[in-house]
Amino acid sequence: MYGLQLVEHSDGTLKRGTVYVTLGRMEAKGFVESDEQALPPGGIGLPRRIYRLTSVGERVLRAWTALAHELAWEMKP
Amino acid sequence: MTRSTNGPRLPGTTLLKIARLVFDESMLSTVVQPTISDLQREVGEAGPNRVKRLRAQWRGYRAFWTLALVGPFASWHSSTGNGGAVAFPDAVARLAVASIVLTLVAVAGPFVGLWLGVMIATATLFAIVIHRWYQRHPSDLPSPPEPQKASPQINFSSTEVGGNIGGLIFAVGSVLIVAIGLPPVIWFLFVAIAAGCLLAWWLSHWHASHPNSGLPVNRIVWR
Repeated sequence: MYGLQLVEHSDGTLKRGTVYVTLGRMEAKGFVESDEQALPPGGIGLPRRIYRLTSVGERVLRAWTALAHELAWEMKP
Repeated sequence: MTRSTNGPRLPGTTLLKIARLVFDESMLSTVVQPTISDLQREVGEAGPNRVKRLRAQWRGYRAFWTLALVGPFASWHSSTGNGGAVAFPDAVARLAVASIVLTLVAVAGPFVGLWLGVMIATATLFAIVIHRWYQRHPSDLPSPPEPQKASPQINFSSTEVGGNIGGLIFAVGSVLIVAIGLPPVIWFLFVAIAAGCLLAWWLSHWHASHPNSGLPVNRIVWR
């Protein structure tokens, strides 16, 4: 996915002006990796950067989701 | 590529030029260019509909300028030892220094008088000239074998100046600053220039009359 797709899928959680800064930080930590998408023949403009989750990122996401569920369960009245 | 060869100018072309002046390569490739790419694609997908195009441009430009504000604080590469913050450390430093100096001159100028204001401005100008010169012509001075501990005091003698044009700028600038700041001792400047020229002439004359004096001894020839 590229940044604009993530923004559109986030329901307002991610902002266009900061999504690539966030992705850059995640890439520096090894959670995601990115490549520049090649332009189609005759295409003009800058190439898009496509991001993918790494295996480390997947494990962190699973752990974070499990922790969030655990905390939500603990917080239930 | 940011511009078609025959078609209209792509949106974001000017932004990219501005960004190249301000941001470093890492920030450009990972953050700025994808943001501008999104702008270009979104405007392209809007088609001929003027309202859609304007909305896409508004969102894209707003994203860019948000990024320009956030970018200087996005310093994730500093943790990897990549030479500091991702976003234009030089530009931020220059802007900060210029702002501080201008504010100080503006605030303190009326209180300290015209001469001191001129002196501060001249000193700042010379500092910028020397800094620029050494950036383009790095000094060949050997680095100290051990890292020097930071000294809390202002030590003028610790300023490294090479025997080159940068050193000359430094020397002339220092003398001019003192001369502007302390007009009553300006006679000292002229006396020092005359004495320096006299000493240089005498040294030159002495070395011409004693060509081998002062050279390192060649022990191989002795054998």
